[in-house]
This record gives sequence, C-alpha cells and structure tokens, in this order.
Amino acid sequence: MTPAFPLGPWDVSLVLAVTAIILLTTSEILSPYYGPANLKISKKRLKNAAMATSILFLTTVAIRIATMIYGIS
Amino acid sequence: MRISFNFPRAIGLILLLLGAASLLAAIVYSSSVPALIGLGLVFWGIIVSYIQSDEYVKKTILNSTSMTLLTALDETLRTLDCKGKAIYLPPKYLNDPESTKVYVPKLETSTLPSPETTQQLEMQPTQKSPQGILITPAGAELARLLETELGTSLLRINLEDLLRRLPKTLIEDLEIVNDCEIQLFAKKRTEKSEENDQTNQSEIFVKFTTTVYRDTCKRAARLPTIFSNIGCPLSSALAIAFSKATGNPIMIKTQQISEDGETNGTEYTIIEEPVA
Repeated sequence: MTPAFPLGPWDVSLVLAVTAIILLTTSEILSPYYGPANLKISKKRLKNAAMATSILFLTTVAIRIATMIYGIS
Repeated sequence: MRISFNFPRAIGLILLLLGAASLLAAIVYSSSVPALIGLGLVFWGIIVSYIQSDEYVKKTILNSTSMTLLTALDETLRTLDCKGKAIYLPPKYLNDPESTKVYVPKLETSTLPSPETTQQLEMQPTQKSPQGILITPAGAELARLLETELGTSLLRINLEDLLRRLPKTLIEDLEIVNDCEIQLFAKKRTEKSEENDQTNQSEIFVKFTTTVYRDTCKRAARLPTIFSNIGCPLSSALAIAFSKATGNPIMIKTQQISEDGETNGTEYTIIEEPVA
C-alpha cells in the first residue's frame, strides 16, 4: 500500500471555513469601534489573516463550483 | 549574552512542528483524523506566528513624558512673553517643506507674517527683537505617524480626502481615539470678502473621544499658554495635518474639554491669504 494524503480538497475547505469564521469573529469583536480592548495583539494583522483565510476558503468554493459546472474531476 | 525569547513566535513554531508531524503521520497511516488535526495545527501555527503582539507602553508613562515636554514649552513661551495666538505654518512659510513649525507672535494684536519673514526667522532664530518665535509644536511627531498610517505625504493630499480618511486612521489604525466627528464650514470667496481677509476664513470643527490622551489633555488644560494656543498633542497634530493639506496657515480658535478629559472639541480656523 502506497502512503497517500487521506483528505480531499473539500476537507481542507472545511478547515479553512472554520478558521476563517473564528478569525473574522475575533477581528470584529476586537474592532476599536466597539471600544478599547485589552488584547495586546496587532489587530491590523489579525484582520489581514482573517481576510486571507476567507479568500482562500472562497477560492476552494469557486474551484468546487467550477468542477460541478464543467464536470472537471 | 542575553537571548531574547519571543513567546508568540515560539508557540507558533511548536504548533507548526506538531502540525507537520501530524500530517506526516496521516500520510503514513492513511488516517483522516491526524490529517484534520495536522491541518488545523499548521494553520494556527502560521496565524500565531504572523499575528505578533504590538509593542505597548503604560499610559502613565506616556502621560508623564509628554507632560514634562508640554510644561517646558509652556514655561518657554511665558519666559519669552509670547502672548499672541499660535499659527500653524504651511510649507511655503518654511525653508524645508517637510518641517513643521508654529509661529507664536509676541503681541496679541500681531498679524500673520509674510513667508519671507518666517523663512528668515527660521534661519536666524536668535535675531534681536523678533516679532514672534518659531517652535516645533507638540504634535509634530504624531502628525508624522499620521502620515505613515495614511500612506501618503500630507503635502500630496487635499483637505476633502484628509477629512474623509482621518476618522478611520485615528480610530482603526492608530487607535488613539474612540470616536471622531469632523465638520468643515467652508466660507465662499466673494469680491467683497477678498478685500478683508478676516471674513474670508473657513473653519473645521473636530470632536473626538480619547482614552489614550485623556490625562494628558486634562492636565494640559491647566497650561493656558499651551492648551488654548498650541493645543494638546492630538489637536496639535491635526492642526499640522490641516495646514499641510490646505497649504494655508491654521489657528486653533477654541478648544474645549470635558471634565473627565475624554471628550475634546476643537475649532480650527483656516487663514486664507488675500488673493494678489
């Protein structure tokens, strides 16, 4: 038996979705518009990371949709 | 030799290593559980390494250092007997356009000097019996920081753009104010108003709530030469930004502060020079 990676792109997409939701929620909660928060992290970088993960997730979704429409396996 | 230990970086590295090991195990055993765990750990490892903590200092330290400088500035102005209203000068009044200076006249009745006078005063600050003095205002460095966050020079931005982008920069990027409200009261130029430059002035009203500069502003309010004239560091930085963006001299008309020092309302006058 040859070793193979057991997860497909849809599983990776799920991990990305969960990570994106956590990061986006945290970023929104820590937004300075709701008052000062006592968490000493770079909020700008947190926001960038949340956006990057969300874009990655949406890319996997777009790939999935393209696969379904054009029937590429 | 002292080795500096970066806690978030170390945590990120551990998560990355554990994730890589888990992914490797998933490939070897063809199991999806360690693969999911590994992916999660790798993602969080990257995120924790990337989201570094900002460098913070205690507010009390910030207040103590800035108050000493403001007190020194207040004493200097009182010693030199400068009673006039401070005027934030735009680049054309200075030899170096990147520099920031405020002109404080000796007499209350003094008017705005010509660009040649201020340029000469800048080159010879110790000249005998000057009509006023040129000093670097309290918010000079803060204005530079504002410029960095805006991503452009204040000399290359117009007033409308600056007023539109200021609240976001102050609240989200610099995190020095909690709330910011800016209003521009533009006065239209008419033939009649050009004859008398005093009626030809636009005004900007800025109201902000700050917890960062709360104590500094509250204590600066006890220094009348500074507070109603040059302003607290934040209102001073805004005056610098307005003078550079408009290219006109700016004067702090009034500055009011709430009892707790959190809410600050400042009225700026844009001194428009008469058309030649």
